Amino acid sequence: MVNSYQWVFKNHELSAMNYELKDMSDTPKEQNSIPTSKVQRSGKFVKTGFKIGGNYIKHYSKKLFNPELDKSELNEDNAADIYESLSELKGSALKVAQMLSMDKNLLPQAYVDKFSQSQYNAPPLSGPLIIQSFKKYFGKTPEQIYDKFNLKSTNAASIGQVHSAELNGKKLAVKIQYPGVGDSISSDLKLVKPFAFRLLGMSEKELDVYMREVEERLLEETDYELEIRRSIEFSNACANLDNIVFPTYYPELSSKRIITMDWLEGQHLKEFLATNPSQELRNTIGQALWDFYNFQQHELRAVHADPHPGNFMITPDGKLGVIDFGCIKEMPEDFYAPFFSLTSTNLLDNKEETIRAFRLLEMIHPNDTPAQVEFYYGMYKQMIKLFAMPYIDNTFDFGETKFFDELYGFGEKISKMPEFKQARGVKHFIYVNRTNFGLYNILHELQAKVKTDTYKPHVTMQFTVDTL
Amino acid sequence: MATIEGIRKAYMDFVLTEGEQPKSVYIFAKKNKMTEAEFYQFFGSFDAIEESIWSGLALNTLIEIRAQEVWQEYSSREKALSFFYAFFELLKSSRSFAVYSIKKQPKGFTTPKVFEKLQEIFEGFAEEIINEGIETSELSDRKFFSKRYKDALWIQFVFVLNFWINDSTAGFEKTDEAIEKGVNVTFDLFQRSPIDNLFEYGKFLAKNGGMKEKMGFGF
Repeated sequence: MVNSYQWVFKNHELSAMNYELKDMSDTPKEQNSIPTSKVQRSGKFVKTGFKIGGNYIKHYSKKLFNPELDKSELNEDNAADIYESLSELKGSALKVAQMLSMDKNLLPQAYVDKFSQSQYNAPPLSGPLIIQSFKKYFGKTPEQIYDKFNLKSTNAASIGQVHSAELNGKKLAVKIQYPGVGDSISSDLKLVKPFAFRLLGMSEKELDVYMREVEERLLEETDYELEIRRSIEFSNACANLDNIVFPTYYPELSSKRIITMDWLEGQHLKEFLATNPSQELRNTIGQALWDFYNFQQHELRAVHADPHPGNFMITPDGKLGVIDFGCIKEMPEDFYAPFFSLTSTNLLDNKEETIRAFRLLEMIHPNDTPAQVEFYYGMYKQMIKLFAMPYIDNTFDFGETKFFDELYGFGEKISKMPEFKQARGVKHFIYVNRTNFGLYNILHELQAKVKTDTYKPHVTMQFTVDTL
Repeated sequence: MATIEGIRKAYMDFVLTEGEQPKSVYIFAKKNKMTEAEFYQFFGSFDAIEESIWSGLALNTLIEIRAQEVWQEYSSREKALSFFYAFFELLKSSRSFAVYSIKKQPKGFTTPKVFEKLQEIFEGFAEEIINEGIETSELSDRKFFSKRYKDALWIQFVFVLNFWINDSTAGFEKTDEAIEKGVNVTFDLFQRSPIDNLFEYGKFLAKNGGMKEKMGFGF
């Protein structure tokens, strides 16, 4: 979040990262209690703090004897402890862990490794609590609602868990939310904040606007009634896109804490890639992904902002299945217009208008000196050029490592520049960047060649005072 | 003609409208068109009615959870969780009465009269699932202590009951969390844990502490 740009740039290992998780042998400890009250949660974090302190002592005492020692072991120890504490907190803290691991260039590798675990493994809730949730919202037990219901969850969904069920011969996926998640998000974020400051080296004031954006999205994710409305809305809006399938949602079998939808058969990306699919099939899936995201961004102006590989399936007949609409980022016009207009080379060649767009996006601040304006103009222009590369021609080969090396290299470079230690860019960048770079990463993973002119950005060539 | 159910209902209605027990059985019986003798056929006192309301809730809970298909597959821990959830779900429909009945009890360590039967039923149930758990070695059989497991569960139950009385979250979500957490912690303690190893070590030291002398290594 430092500068909303730099932290996405290194993302391109992200997906590879996530895939390795399942192979990890160290599963988290089985968890039998969730610390609920703020005091207990704080306690948890304080404990983590102590442990980290201990890790530093361990590190420096080892270093006395072995000056060569680098910090990676230390980072790993710290990450394990943070992960353990976050995993026990569950709910929103886990979500934060996931976010942090999505934006992994922010953190040393080791932190990310551990955080990434949380994307797949969170300890499950007890069977009786699941039955209780059903009785509360439907007045019936799952046995009475479905023909079959598996009390053992198939996987965790960060703020809930997924169960398989069957009704009238149809296989269903039932997502159940942990109780009390919504309540604790704000207090969790407050607890995570000091860690974030330390990790990012930012001041509270600068971080605040981003934290609030994250909090808002997270709170939306806990609202399953909203999620099911959006899922239906978006899957209908995207129904005409080629090679994409959505599960059917069942609002009558859903509630504030429960969502019932069709079970999508298929493989996760990693499994899919392991089958060594043909280039043609990879292009098809890649194209479907590209169309899915760009149709939403440019036609709906609201986008599925969670391009986490776990949210996609590749069906046996070679289509892309999309299974989670918990996180939607809406893009207001005052963000959309200046940002996506920059992807047009014509605008980017017009220095005056480009600077105007940067100002609108708060990438250049009103009180910047002319020298600063010049500096940031130069850097951001380079950045945008990289970002807009796939849009320039009609097709783009995401398999090309050169593009990603450049992206990565640039991210690396600016992350070391003191000029980028302060917060720049409007809050919308957080999720829009996460979405687009997440998309790029998955496409890279797929080594897909994609037609990029299917749904093009709408471009404004000039920013008059009225557009402000 | 008066019935147990009818008297319970009438009594609950009375205390909730008036905020206190009827002044006498005579007044209560007259108001409900029965004779005092009829009343005494069923209950010896007003407290006895309250006691039977509470124990009735526990019995209904047991009937309900045992009828669930998954019941047979549950571990002891899950059976306990299931009881807690189902009990508080049932209690929801009589929350006003529960609040009235609990709040008027004097604070103290002994179980108030109106909860005695409930406690009896609860502990009977607790003992049953604990023995089951010990048999399947889900729980650790500890000399003396395993006899006290049921007391620990009862304390947990009373705690959650008080927690629920003061819970003002929508759908009593916090109570759900209190149950999930509390019962799990209690069962964690029942399982084999470092405490057992500590005891073992203590036993070992007590037996072998004097080893030096016995083996003749005296200096």
